[in-house]
Amino acid sequence: MSSPFSINGGACVAMRGKNCVAIACDLRLGLQSLTVSNNFPKIFQYSPTAFLGLTGLATDVSTVSELFRYKVNMYRLREERDIAPKTFAQLVSSSLYERRFGPWFVSPVVAGIDGKSGAPFICGFDSIGCIDYAADFIVSGTASDQLFGTCEGLWEPDLEPDDLFETISQALLNAVDRDALSGWGAHVYIIEKDKVTKRLLKGRQD
Amino acid sequence: MADRYSFSLTTFSPSGKLVQIEYALNAVNQGVTSLGIKAANGIVLATEKKSSTPLIDPASSSKISLITPNIGMVYSGMGPDYRVLVDKARKVSHTGYKRIYNEYPPTRILVQDVARVMQEATQSGGVRPYGVSLLIAGYDEGIEPEQQNAKPAGAEETAVDDSAEDRKKTTGKTGGILKGGPSLYQVDPSGSYFPWKATAIGKSATSAKTFLEKRYTEGLELEDAVHIALLTLKETIEGEMNGETVEIGIVGPPANHLLGYEGVEGAQGPRFRKLSPQEIEDYLTNL
Amino acid sequence: MEVLLGITGKDFCIVAASKAAMRGASILKANDDKTRTLNKNTLMAFSGEPGDTVQFAEYIQANIQLYSMRNSSDLSPFEVSSFVRAELAKSLRSRSPYTVNLLLGGYDSIKQKPELYWIDYLASSAPVPYAAHGYAQYYCLSILDKHHHPDISFEQGMKILRMCTDELKRRLPIDFKGVNVKIIDKDGIREEPYSDDKQVYAP
Repeated sequence: MSSPFSINGGACVAMRGKNCVAIACDLRLGLQSLTVSNNFPKIFQYSPTAFLGLTGLATDVSTVSELFRYKVNMYRLREERDIAPKTFAQLVSSSLYERRFGPWFVSPVVAGIDGKSGAPFICGFDSIGCIDYAADFIVSGTASDQLFGTCEGLWEPDLEPDDLFETISQALLNAVDRDALSGWGAHVYIIEKDKVTKRLLKGRQD
Repeated sequence: MADRYSFSLTTFSPSGKLVQIEYALNAVNQGVTSLGIKAANGIVLATEKKSSTPLIDPASSSKISLITPNIGMVYSGMGPDYRVLVDKARKVSHTGYKRIYNEYPPTRILVQDVARVMQEATQSGGVRPYGVSLLIAGYDEGIEPEQQNAKPAGAEETAVDDSAEDRKKTTGKTGGILKGGPSLYQVDPSGSYFPWKATAIGKSATSAKTFLEKRYTEGLELEDAVHIALLTLKETIEGEMNGETVEIGIVGPPANHLLGYEGVEGAQGPRFRKLSPQEIEDYLTNL
Repeated sequence: MEVLLGITGKDFCIVAASKAAMRGASILKANDDKTRTLNKNTLMAFSGEPGDTVQFAEYIQANIQLYSMRNSSDLSPFEVSSFVRAELAKSLRSRSPYTVNLLLGGYDSIKQKPELYWIDYLASSAPVPYAAHGYAQYYCLSILDKHHHPDISFEQGMKILRMCTDELKRRLPIDFKGVNVKIIDKDGIREEPYSDDKQVYAP
């Protein structure tokens, strides 16, 4: 319980669909069993179609999200283009490994669509930047065990955006209901080639 | 005292000139001519390889260098300064880019990095400016020029057309870096850099550029560009012209035979490669 | 047993901090002020390791004031919270981190909205409608959950604060000597008189 990864709680999941991806997180910020806030989103946008989910120690979620905001803004100014999800994933990896012997206590998830080819892309990382590429889904956070279960049960290949939204929402909601440290509402992003839909799920408030 | 302070040697003259940089340009203008031509599907870099004595093994010295698989460069001016810059360009393309993004820098980014190195030598203490001008040629993935222009003409499905329109708009807004394809840059000792369709540096740069202005046409093919490069070089070259005395580097289609392996899906060979003396001889016989 | 409480309402933010300065089981002072005014519309309340608290708070106070002097304009509460969080996050991974928990109460004069930020010593920061630090969290958050509403008037806010302090008096094993109450609204920061003499008995 005193692992830095499970002090504040939180959950995040990304899924691949047909020409689309989805990423979702819960909104809880806690101190052990005590809930402090139900308005602490863990998904951040870094280009029109590149998103990063961060679970783990809340202070590092904030610090790391701000660090990447800085790095991606500098990239955009220097290169006069938006960062591609695959490139962003490599940036996340190298930035985390830079802290190999004093890591940020976060478990990142990247989801996005390549601006040029339109190919969906998702991947996850450990806290020192090892990339976990996946063709189906990526889970992270204190509800990751539960998310593995719900995702294994609900996900299927080539889901259309609307079906993917239903699948990821049910996977997240039912996983966080089985985790005491996650929940209290959710953000769900459905990312298509030139459209991003963000939905707020109320979820159980108890 | 000497190790505590070091002042820049490059200081303004009362008229507002940095004479050290002008001297560096003089060094460039005494150097052997190099030239570059951008074609629709590639780039050619060419230079004369002069040796003061027939006792030198020509294969051991080389003026065109590979920086990344898709970027190469050539110089006019001081050879030793050039080698330092090649080392720094190769190093920065890894430390400043590949080790961060796991991909090689786009041409313009590398050019800016090299230009920064050269600019810093004009403002730092205890150093002199680099006595070289560079021609840097590279190829970038992205929306290629012909694709970009082809779009408005096509009467495709509406949905597809919309996204193409959107993409075109963002391209315009961002100054067109999404644009892929070949690009050719010149970098000077001051650290300033320019994109060219075709240019020359070194001793006979002025006459070579006049020649190129006459010969260059839009939509040139790479083969024609190599031809023009050799013709231009021929005008200015002092010694004999053969595979041993001319050096050519090209940016062209991926050279998968240079990968050293085959059967890996998606693997792409380097686009920048140097022509062998034999290949150059072949071009010369057809001149 | 330090108490920090924060409540926002329609157009105000209440910050309350216990008046007892303690060392071990002894109370050294009964009128301690655990708040610092950062600028015209932002107030910071702090608890934690004695020594760290005032040192950190006054360091922040000095820097926020310096910003106001240099730029002839105040940082908004959100901007202050970002600065404070960044400083605390820097400290967290230093050789000797500050052990300080904070509540930042403010009034954003552009958005015309009160704001409250909960920040702990790990530099976790969250915008909240109401907040507490220390043991007060366990006693007061449930009361606030039940009675708070974003649109409450100042009077209702004070009424809820009274419910909280009464509960703390009822449940906490050590007398925290009542609370200092500060109000942040469109007119700036002011101290609100708050009587602590009423006896509250455990049930």
